[in-house]
Amino acid sequence: MSSLLSAIFLGWSLGANNQANVFGSAVSSRMVKFWTAAILASVFVLLGSLLEGEACIETYTGLTRMTLELAVISSLASAGTVTLMTVLGLPVSTSQTVPGAIFAIGLLNRQLDLPGMGKVVACWFGTPVGGVLIAVVLYYGLAAVYNRLKINLFQSDKVLRVCLIIAGSYGAYTLGANNVANVTAVFVGAGVLTVFSAVLIGGMSIGFGIMTYSRPVIETVGKKLVKLDAFSALVVVLAESITVHIYTFIGVPVSTSQAVVGAVLGVGIVRGINTIRRRTMVNILLAWFLTPVMACFLTLVIDFIANLHYVPSR
Amino acid sequence: MFQFLFKKEQQVEQLIYQYLDNLKMAQDNFLTAMNVYFEKGFCEDFDFLIEQTHKVESKADDTRYEIETMMYAKALIPESRGDVLGLLEAIDQIPGLFELILYMIQTQRLSTPDFLVLDIKELIRVSLECCDLLIKEVEALFKKSGDIRSLVSNIDNNESHCDHIERRIIARIFDADLDPFQKLQLKEMVIQLGEISDQADRVSRRVHIISTKRRV
Repeated sequence: MSSLLSAIFLGWSLGANNQANVFGSAVSSRMVKFWTAAILASVFVLLGSLLEGEACIETYTGLTRMTLELAVISSLASAGTVTLMTVLGLPVSTSQTVPGAIFAIGLLNRQLDLPGMGKVVACWFGTPVGGVLIAVVLYYGLAAVYNRLKINLFQSDKVLRVCLIIAGSYGAYTLGANNVANVTAVFVGAGVLTVFSAVLIGGMSIGFGIMTYSRPVIETVGKKLVKLDAFSALVVVLAESITVHIYTFIGVPVSTSQAVVGAVLGVGIVRGINTIRRRTMVNILLAWFLTPVMACFLTLVIDFIANLHYVPSR
Repeated sequence: MFQFLFKKEQQVEQLIYQYLDNLKMAQDNFLTAMNVYFEKGFCEDFDFLIEQTHKVESKADDTRYEIETMMYAKALIPESRGDVLGLLEAIDQIPGLFELILYMIQTQRLSTPDFLVLDIKELIRVSLECCDLLIKEVEALFKKSGDIRSLVSNIDNNESHCDHIERRIIARIFDADLDPFQKLQLKEMVIQLGEISDQADRVSRRVHIISTKRRV
């Protein structure tokens, strides 16, 4: 069980950081109470993990051969990278940390599924692009329906608020389904956990992060977010969730934050406004490059330290 | 199905309709008070009606504060909160004008020459018609029950008509052989009467913007 501590920590930080992507705008603008959002998100993350988490776990387990020691090292390196980069104020995504660590393990094993790794990296680039495209299509589609509704201001408020709760819950579901692999997949590869116990432990640790530490993250991130009207916020959450869900079907864990950036950009394109600062785009490029490199490096360092032995001279 | 989630919104909606009822009551009191003033001059009935208008105006204020408190208790989504609060604040200036005009007449013991009464009555009639249309427009916004664009256009036409009457009355005041101080007093009253339709027009445009803004 102690070998799973780093995974539980990784799941906790994933939940604490990613809740802002699904319920962030609704909670920070006081449309939904924090505890309503936190309970719904935790339940749906666990549901997503249990019902659809297996596909992404299989992708990660197929990338290289794992042992318990290597699984612990890669999990520790991933958790360390997330913590280190957060402390340094650098952009970080768990979905890019874990493949970086697995890549390093593959180097140590001299066994790496390069086409599989290529598919994972290709999906990183596809995530914000998918977010943009789906947001554009959704905006036009939903706007056509919304504008035809014969509803007054109060009813329109109710519709938007209920839709935001449903979309946020769906977002939490896809977060669990897609990102649970980041938390416990390496332990399935090592044969320590069954797929069921992996999705259960992973889902619960993400939920634990949401319940215990997502509030300050939402409040901090909420202030930095572009102020979106309720309809645009709904489109963003739905576009992000659909994007992440598509990658869940493909079986590749992706960054929900990068899907959100894509979706916000898509809404900006439709409305003809500049919703994303250049700095945010640079951060994504940095995250694509820096995160896996840092995780890879840290994995090699931890492995080196773990294998230091005293060799007596003859 | 989700009604239990929106108790505050339902209460706010009811309070807004209550506020509009108060506005209508203040308007009726104002009209009756002005008619009594033109027919009987300063009398107990006139004082009583001023007091009634003041009470209704205060009641409207209380309702508005109650709505504000509920809004700050997180009823409605933030952008709607701002829209509704701004709208009520703008509407609230109208009963304030009724009260101001009546107090102006009462405290300054303003006497209106007979040759102006018909024109002033006409100005009041058209101004209050603007208010009636405005109430319909606000109800149309909240109930989605009417054509806001045509109501905006009607209020705009009435407001132009009021401006025309206002200019005519002021010209007649200054053409007449009256005490200069009385001329200034009458001019001030006519301007405040004209302000009713001006404010109704401003609020009407605001309602139109709120309604248009909600289209995505």
